[in-house]
Amino acid sequence: MLGFGKKGPTQTQNAEKQETLLTLSILTLAAILSPLFSSFTTIITYLLTKEVKNAGAGLVAAAFVSIVPGYISRSVAGSYDNEGIAIFCMLLTYYTWIKAVKTGTILWGTLTALAYFYMVSSWGGYVFLINLIPLHVLTLMATGRFSHRIYIAYSTLYCVGTILSMQISFVGFQPVQSSEHMLALGVFGLCQIVAFVDYIRSKLSKNDFETLYTFLIYTVGILAITVGGVLTLSGKISPWTGRFYSLLDPSYAKNHIPIIASVSEHQPTSWSSFYFDLQILVFLFPAVVTLLLISYTFHCTWVTSEAYSSPSIVLSARSHDGGRIIFDDFREAYYWLKMNTPEDARIMSWWDYGYQITAMANRTILVDNNTWNNTHISRVGQAMASSEEKAYEIMKELDVDYVLVIFGGLTGYSSDDINKFLWMVRIGGSTDRGAHIKEWDYYSSNGEFRVDKEGSQTLLNCLMYKMCYYRFGQVYTEGGKPPGYDRVRAAEIGNKDFELDVLEEAYTTEHWLVRIYKVKDLPNRGV
Amino acid sequence: MAQIGTVISKFYNEYQIKTSKKLKVIDAYLFYILLTGIVQFVYCILVGTFPFNSFLSGFISSVSCFVLGVCLRLQVNPENKSQFYGISPERGFADFIFAHVVLHLVVMNFIG
Amino acid sequence: MYKILALLLCLTYVTALEKVNNQLINKNVERSIDLTTQLVKITSTITLENTGRESVRNFLLVLEPNTVGNVSYSNVKDSLKDDLKIVRIEVDNQKDKTFYNVLLKQPLDAGRVTTVVLEEVLTKSLIPFPSSITQKEKQLKTEVSLSSRTVENYTKLKPVVQSDSTITYGPYGTIQPFTQDEMIIHYENNAPFLTVTRLERSIEISHWGNIAVEENIQIRHTGAKLKGPFSRYDYQRDTGTAHHSIKSYRTILPASAHSVYYRDSNGNISTSTVRPRKEWIELELRPRFPLFGGWQSSYTLGYSVPSYQYLFKNPSGEYVLNMRIIDHVFDDMHVEELETAIVLPVGVSDIKLNTPYEVERLGDEITYKYLDNIGRTVIKLRKTNLVEQHIQDLEITYNWKPHLLLHEPILLSIALFLSFVCVIIYVRLDFSLSKSEHSKKE
Repeated sequence: MLGFGKKGPTQTQNAEKQETLLTLSILTLAAILSPLFSSFTTIITYLLTKEVKNAGAGLVAAAFVSIVPGYISRSVAGSYDNEGIAIFCMLLTYYTWIKAVKTGTILWGTLTALAYFYMVSSWGGYVFLINLIPLHVLTLMATGRFSHRIYIAYSTLYCVGTILSMQISFVGFQPVQSSEHMLALGVFGLCQIVAFVDYIRSKLSKNDFETLYTFLIYTVGILAITVGGVLTLSGKISPWTGRFYSLLDPSYAKNHIPIIASVSEHQPTSWSSFYFDLQILVFLFPAVVTLLLISYTFHCTWVTSEAYSSPSIVLSARSHDGGRIIFDDFREAYYWLKMNTPEDARIMSWWDYGYQITAMANRTILVDNNTWNNTHISRVGQAMASSEEKAYEIMKELDVDYVLVIFGGLTGYSSDDINKFLWMVRIGGSTDRGAHIKEWDYYSSNGEFRVDKEGSQTLLNCLMYKMCYYRFGQVYTEGGKPPGYDRVRAAEIGNKDFELDVLEEAYTTEHWLVRIYKVKDLPNRGV
Repeated sequence: MAQIGTVISKFYNEYQIKTSKKLKVIDAYLFYILLTGIVQFVYCILVGTFPFNSFLSGFISSVSCFVLGVCLRLQVNPENKSQFYGISPERGFADFIFAHVVLHLVVMNFIG
Repeated sequence: MYKILALLLCLTYVTALEKVNNQLINKNVERSIDLTTQLVKITSTITLENTGRESVRNFLLVLEPNTVGNVSYSNVKDSLKDDLKIVRIEVDNQKDKTFYNVLLKQPLDAGRVTTVVLEEVLTKSLIPFPSSITQKEKQLKTEVSLSSRTVENYTKLKPVVQSDSTITYGPYGTIQPFTQDEMIIHYENNAPFLTVTRLERSIEISHWGNIAVEENIQIRHTGAKLKGPFSRYDYQRDTGTAHHSIKSYRTILPASAHSVYYRDSNGNISTSTVRPRKEWIELELRPRFPLFGGWQSSYTLGYSVPSYQYLFKNPSGEYVLNMRIIDHVFDDMHVEELETAIVLPVGVSDIKLNTPYEVERLGDEITYKYLDNIGRTVIKLRKTNLVEQHIQDLEITYNWKPHLLLHEPILLSIALFLSFVCVIIYVRLDFSLSKSEHSKKE
């Protein structure tokens, strides 16, 4: 940590601890980056609103954005994700755009292009930006407010910005090929045409202009249609991607691509969450600022401390006598993996824990949060949802040494793998090799997802079930309840006394949150 | 058709008389850029798009230079002074240079 | 079943300088071997009688050949409980054996008798047998002073008596020099077999009044390896009886230690308890997971102590540091490799090092901490095979000028001053382009 006179430990474990003038570890930097950028966002919000309205409005807007829980949740210290920086980049681009439109200088146009480049490099959501700005220009054209300034601003932005954005390998040649970028190109072309037409109109008389105008319209129109049609039919311009469809129809992803639908951020916000995040602003915007700002600040601070400041890798709960219990099971399990498994061991788990295992346990995993390879994730889902014998074939094919599951039945932790299991089934069944896995098989006879005796036999004998509930049938979890009572599903489990054939319990953490199993070797022939 | 001919010749004459020398220089420069752009495009159609990044880089460079030239022309033209409040032609030219520096850095990087 | 080998060696020698002296005989030797923990502790009380005519100033002790590599610590005290100086030497005609030369404080006159006490600690002498067990089985070892009554078998060299957890061999009379008899005891020992495979201790001295100590410890359970699965359910049920797994252990810290932290590469470990006692601070450490045979873990433990308790100024103006080379990790500890690094303040000179026992001194290094441009000297020491008896002070003497304390604050002030000057100059510069416009307007 930065600090004069403060002696703290170094985070690296290299033999040579060479510390320089100002020592800052990557861990510290990653944790501090989000709050740092959120403070920049406050400043840029002020500047942006000042441009649009005046300094007073700017201050109010900045004050609100600094405390609203919805934004805080995306920028807590430690949340090292795209959105922490991208929101600042987006606002910066909008600010420079407004400045460019107002002043009409090439300088501001170039600065907008640079801000846009920063935005492209930080988040894939730049697509929304490259469609919103052309829409703005179109609106200005439609309302007759197109002027030289806007021409300069947009043309500079489009030309310099596009070639800058193509430097990012993720974007590549998309700005000239994919349909998401076609609006920007179209508006650019339109700008040139409108500016040229204005120029000609200023030079010629009305009649002359009209003749020239009609002539040009016909020629250009025919040309554009033929060229556009040829390119689309020959496949040079790609069809609209899923992300863009989601903008138009939010339920598209849910119906067609399960893995996109399963991510919690993509679920439509319920009204209660809206209220939780915005509270009074939902109804009283614009509000009587002074009086309500004070009570609003209290609400925001409370929400931030209770809901958004809790780490999710170390959990805590209050026991019945008021004392606090710490559940440090995740780090316990990852550290055990790091210390007591061979260095080249391969771990199979659901993709949610991929990055954590890679970073903390330093072991190879099959799938991680990047969710890059849908077929591979589907294979893991098939392994989890199949019986032990079939799962063993898949695990041997994928060369797995250890399997890791999260189980919340003892502690009441509800984000465990059994609650996510239906998503594993859906994703597992969404590819060719998983066609035999049908979601309906895992429901009970009356269509419910149950883990007790009424649950479906397929569910009670699949690998995930067995791994979560191995030896759990003898544990007393709550007073007055039978042994093997799952506190999350609130049911006594249906399949209790079973043995594992292909796995061996390698480690279970103190509160049974993380369970690690070793895949047994193939039996020797002839023995 | 003949009407188009007379319109165009009328426009050309007026252009020769009315535009100042400074603007004519810029217009000549724009015309040259246009030619380079057309040449690149024709070459691409004839020979093929490989390597695509080089073609894009060169073509976008032409288009951008053309556009920036037009922007400069707009700012320098005394008729448009009312629209660009407080921006002198020198300032316009300085901005033009800045944009070109950024543009060419990127083009150099992209051309491969 | 475990087998443990221990040799019962009934011999000591006295010689006059590299020669075996037949005139000095051991009138009586009593050995007690403590095998209750993972270490073998042998205490031998030897009564020497000088039957010759000349007085004797020293005598020779021979080490059991098989255990030479395992001896971690040995010490000889005389009847007044003073330490006697011992040196390893070679003896004529007996080149294959290792001898210690012990110097007596007072020469032993003819016909007189004196008593000396020899203390030895052996490491890695207890071998688990079988070498791997399941979670539920018990770990067995051999021992004389046993930790339990359960003994599988033991060498029956008469006379021998077993009562409760003690086996008494002897007394044996009139033994010739260099006689050897093997003793094997196979018994149950569920004591924690924890070895520190590597301990890196770093001591940082700051003349602002603080000494920061940080230890990087890698521990491993060196008992019988775990065979088969680990069942959390059985482990949680089976807490009553003494178990061969290790759940927690106690580290003793100096009484003035504060700001104690206990963490590993994944972050802070919350399962620890600090209990301040009168003379020391007891820190009960629980690793993230219980250690079974063959399992290992590593952690970092650090604390700060005020410097006035360890750093002194001697009459000639030099500074003297008295700190422990190795500190307590847990009772009956065995450390395989130790590396101690002492970071001295900026600008020290004339460094002298004094250690109570032999250590390997590695080359000095230079390290840079916050706001250092000169660099600090680091003294590095290395030693292998240590036990609790090695917890002793080392002494470092150096020269240091007090004005060097202001080195860092002045550096910081100069840096800020320069940045202010730059800003002052910058705002007075004129970068405008629009001079021509101004002149046009006017």
